[in-house]
Amino acid sequence: HYQTLSYLSVSITPVCADLQDERYAQGRGFIAKAVNSCHTASLTTPEDKEQTQQIHHEDLLNLILGVLRSWNDPLVHLASEVQRMKEAPETILWKAVEIEEQNKRLLEGMEKIVGRVQSGVVENDIYTPWDGLPSLQLDDEDSRLFAFYNLLHCLRRDSHKIDNYLKVLKCRLIHDNNC
Amino acid sequence: MKQRFISSVQIILQLALTTVGLTGQSYPGKPQIIRCRSLEKETFSCWWKPGSDGGLPNNYTLFYSKDSEEKIYECPDYLTSGPNSCYFNKNHTNPWTTYIITVTATNEIGSNSSDPQHVDVTSIVQPDAPVNLSLETNTSANMSYIWARWSPPPLADASFNSHVYHYELRLKPEEKEEWETVSVGMQTHYEVTSLQAGVKYIVQVRCMLDLGEWSEWSSERSIQIPKERLPPEKPTIIKCRSPEKETFTCWWKPASDGGLSTNHTLLYSKEGEEKVHECPDYKTAGPNSCYFDKKHTSFWTIYNITVRATNEMGSNVSDPHYVDVTYIVQPDPPVNITLELKKSIKRKPYLVLTWSPPPLADVRSGWLTLEYELRLKPEEGEEWETIFVGQQTQYKMFSLNPGKRYIVQIHCKPDHHGLWSEWSPEMYIEIPTDFRVKDMVVWIIVGVLSSLICLTMSWIMIMKGYRMMAFILPPVPGPKIKGIDTHLLETGKSEELLSALGCHGFPPTSDCEELLIEYLEVEDSEDQQLMPSHDTHCKNTKIILKETDSDSGRGSCDSPSLLPVKCRESHSLPSALQTQDVRAKEKKGGKGSWETQCTASEQKTLPCNSESKKSCTWLAAQLPSNQAAMFAYHSTVEAFRITLNTTNVNTSPVLVGNEENRQSLYPIAETAYDGMEKINEMEYSKTDQTTVQVRQNQQNDKSPFLNPKLMDYVEVHRVRQDEEPTLLLKHKENSGKTKKCTVPGTSKEYTKVSTVMDHHILVLLPDQRTQNTPVSQEPVAETSENPQQSQAEKNTSYSTTAPSDSTRDTSGSDYMDPSSFMPSFK
Repeated sequence: HYQTLSYLSVSITPVCADLQDERYAQGRGFIAKAVNSCHTASLTTPEDKEQTQQIHHEDLLNLILGVLRSWNDPLVHLASEVQRMKEAPETILWKAVEIEEQNKRLLEGMEKIVGRVQSGVVENDIYTPWDGLPSLQLDDEDSRLFAFYNLLHCLRRDSHKIDNYLKVLKCRLIHDNNC
Repeated sequence: MKQRFISSVQIILQLALTTVGLTGQSYPGKPQIIRCRSLEKETFSCWWKPGSDGGLPNNYTLFYSKDSEEKIYECPDYLTSGPNSCYFNKNHTNPWTTYIITVTATNEIGSNSSDPQHVDVTSIVQPDAPVNLSLETNTSANMSYIWARWSPPPLADASFNSHVYHYELRLKPEEKEEWETVSVGMQTHYEVTSLQAGVKYIVQVRCMLDLGEWSEWSSERSIQIPKERLPPEKPTIIKCRSPEKETFTCWWKPASDGGLSTNHTLLYSKEGEEKVHECPDYKTAGPNSCYFDKKHTSFWTIYNITVRATNEMGSNVSDPHYVDVTYIVQPDPPVNITLELKKSIKRKPYLVLTWSPPPLADVRSGWLTLEYELRLKPEEGEEWETIFVGQQTQYKMFSLNPGKRYIVQIHCKPDHHGLWSEWSPEMYIEIPTDFRVKDMVVWIIVGVLSSLICLTMSWIMIMKGYRMMAFILPPVPGPKIKGIDTHLLETGKSEELLSALGCHGFPPTSDCEELLIEYLEVEDSEDQQLMPSHDTHCKNTKIILKETDSDSGRGSCDSPSLLPVKCRESHSLPSALQTQDVRAKEKKGGKGSWETQCTASEQKTLPCNSESKKSCTWLAAQLPSNQAAMFAYHSTVEAFRITLNTTNVNTSPVLVGNEENRQSLYPIAETAYDGMEKINEMEYSKTDQTTVQVRQNQQNDKSPFLNPKLMDYVEVHRVRQDEEPTLLLKHKENSGKTKKCTVPGTSKEYTKVSTVMDHHILVLLPDQRTQNTPVSQEPVAETSENPQQSQAEKNTSYSTTAPSDSTRDTSGSDYMDPSSFMPSFK
């Protein structure tokens, strides 16, 4: 299961990278403004190797789950809004849809795993709502573009984060830290 | 008047000098007025240059006159202005007068005067250069100035200081050539601007009165303009890298420092935080760098990094650099690259390249996942072939050519975001030359050569095929009986044959012995009794028996090698006669077939060789199955011929061996113990021989080896066409054989025909000529019986030969002892 998950998460990340680089990377202006504006920033996740290795695997799984849930909604809207963009090439449209689907699959897989791993029923309320939809629908093209860029940037980061967590979990639990 | 006087005096002096010149001394040379100058228009001086002094001390006098007067004055002051000068002080100087000045040099002999010099005071005015030039520099507001001061030239008379000078200043940078001249006016100071910082300047001044000339330039003065002092320029951040996704380092490049020592500080803030931190470590990663250790490194966070440069004049900050450490991971190259040569199933070698991730990368915990890529090229090649390997740490290379050298390199990168590492050091691969390649060449050469040889051989064969065949497979010589034409025999024209035979004196005499063919002689002293009225010339009809040995499947029994061993081993053999059952078929005419069975007496063979027993029994078993008409004996190369000697003259010469058997060889040795005998049917055409002598001729030299071979063979002869074929059996006793072995050259074995049974079975008696008494006893005993039997049946067949004791020794005809098999027949 872990491997499937890691595969899925793995496939998200490069797509995100492509998505971001292709169209919306416009130099540092965007980067500067994009700082500190990911909606999942409020979720406390491990920030380095030590924290990742020290956190209990159940907690980490729950975290991953929370992040994935938080992204479900934005991805749906991303896919739909991207289709509305005039200049967007088809590849972006296709990739956006693909990302959304993969995220759903990831989410399902994760929920299964978590269900198995966790003993008993634990309420998992790790979730961040997303309120960026209006920004994707702005009239000003630059603002809209920036909103897209921001969203993609956050998506890329979070997908990489999840991918890393899953790999660490896989190596820890399956290969006994000997990948 | 005075002028004339002066000139006349000069002439006289010159004359005097010329007269005196002859004596080495002369009047002085002509002086020359160099210059006259006035410093301030109120005094002036003149200087002259003396001419040659003529060898005598000279005295110089200056005379001058004013242009409006004729009066000649002498110089008022020779001293003030130095040697050879004349100083006209204020009283003697009239600026509006032209002076005519002459200098005269005088010595004892004569004098000489210079050319007169017209001097106008106003035109010779030139002041001295200014003095006390001093320079100062000042820098304010990034501008530098030179402040120059000087003093007018000094004068002897202070009252002259009221003169007003004009000044001029010039300056230039020390390294340059061109001067920049500035007119200063009448002031004795000046300020120079537009100077370059950090340059050393040289300054001079000069002055001039309202009329006259400029003075000389004053001595040089130099001054250094200090460099500009600026705040530093903006540094730039070059890059940030993390080698293992746990720490990272940033490097920056400083700009110009404004000439002053500059300090750099790196400041950063993390996404989501307000606080600005300073670089925790400036040293670990070298100059102009900042190292963030594990504690200070966070992932999935954007760092805002800036560098500030500070000096005395101020500071400057670089542009911010945003970096998320997860995206800047560039690992070290892979390590522990090893090669292993393996052989696949098909014996083709392939190379397995293995490597390890760089030591710092934590791949085991899954924190960092690396992908690898290798590149390969032949040593002399230009282009690399790049192969993406993925996350595995080994790679199998199949497509390498043996014997070539390759260069291989590997690098890695994090699986997602990140940068490729440097290429690992070059690794050289050399594939051992596959011997198969050489094999191919060798095989090709071998193939070519062999094909050539085959072609040559076939060519030779074609050309000389027959000869070759004859060489390789020499034809078995057919029976050569003088007087017998085999063709006649074949065709069955007995009359012709007989005539042919008759012509040659059939039966052949001892001349037959000339034939270099071994033959078996069977002699019967009682042939006359047995044989009909036919006379034969030659008592010994030599009948060449050819024995063919069809494949009886004999095994070890037939091997010649056994027999010698057997012979040697056996000391004495029972003299048991070997009774042989021979089955014979008529080959031609088929009137009857003699059947004899050869049974080797096991007793005899026992002492010799136990093996023979087996073989013999085996052969005995096979005998019944052998329906071959011909008795075949394996023999070595030699063909043994059985010659039948017919004692009876009447007997027609015995037929020669069967045509069919001509080519056959008799392995007598092999059949010795077997008793396998095949009867060659011999056809007698028109022969009335009743007795047949079979004489066996053995080559003594081969006897030890041959004797065992000459075991038994039986030949069926047809004495007459209409008669039953005669059966000639050559039977050798084992004892006989042994004897022959032991006593080579003496043994001859004969088989005596004792009886003829069923009109077509010849019963033979073994020879009694064996030396062993016990051996001989039996045959004797047997033969004693047999003659009777044979005699009884003599009339029925002509082929029987009775053993005769008397002639045994001489003729040595042996016959089979039917006693052993008589019952079987009967």
